[in-house]
Amino acid sequence: MNETEMMNEIKDANLNYLMLAQQMLRADRATAIFRLGINEDVADLLEGLSNFQILKLSSSNMMLARFRFEDSAILSMLTDYTKDRALANAHSAILLSGQPA
Amino acid sequence: MKKAAVKKSIISEGEQIQLATQMIKLGARLQLLESQTTLSRERLIKLYKELKGMSPPKGMLPFSTDWFLTWQPNIHSSIFLNIHDYLVKNAGVDDITAVLKAYSLYLQQVGHDSEEEPVLSLTRAWTLIRYVDSKMLKMKACTCCSGQFVVNAYDLNQNYLCSLCHIPSRAGKTKKAKATETQYKLVDSNVIA
Repeated sequence: MNETEMMNEIKDANLNYLMLAQQMLRADRATAIFRLGINEDVADLLEGLSNFQILKLSSSNMMLARFRFEDSAILSMLTDYTKDRALANAHSAILLSGQPA
Repeated sequence: MKKAAVKKSIISEGEQIQLATQMIKLGARLQLLESQTTLSRERLIKLYKELKGMSPPKGMLPFSTDWFLTWQPNIHSSIFLNIHDYLVKNAGVDDITAVLKAYSLYLQQVGHDSEEEPVLSLTRAWTLIRYVDSKMLKMKACTCCSGQFVVNAYDLNQNYLCSLCHIPSRAGKTKKAKATETQYKLVDSNVIA
């Protein structure tokens, strides 16, 4: 994958993310706020974006969505669950929903 | 919600029936329905029979706080309570709406399918919220993973380690768990083959 391809992929991901987020918010606001891990102000903004705004916002070379596990210790702990997938899911659900929006 | 303050209105009654329907589908007991809707007991029983095809279970609700502290229930109730608190804090929902939303999210989160009973029932989830409101249970951060978990408000919880960072040696080793485990193994070996 060369540089231009990578940039295009990032733009695609951005566009996908914004469109998905908007759809989720319109379908079920409270649930979407939880799943996306955002707060109400951001939700209002995302929900109100026009198609043109979304396109403009997504055509950047930077990733718009951020990785939600910032603590490397916790991340390594979660990926180190060898036996039980259900437990890993449970643990990450607790940790993600405990994070501030 | 004050029962006397609600005027007889068909629209509001319709909303109440819808709310009750949603709660019954999620497995609510009659006591929960009675306290959260303005419908009469008779109508609720009728609705219950119509939806489930049987009479609502009788008897008292489970009232022990200890259940929430045992291993598997603790993990499940912690997931639910974390989701609930997140919704209340960030999504501007409250009361029974928050409980219902959080409960459906919890079911999806634990990958529940409709055949078997979920570990945490809707009635228990609602009880949990009441216990937390009345300060019998509270959340405490694990010193290892910093996740928030349900603990007894009157226990000593210094240097608290959660039930996932510090799994008790016999945790989850029930007969039922063993049976499903062998099932998974069979499935896994099929996938490989």
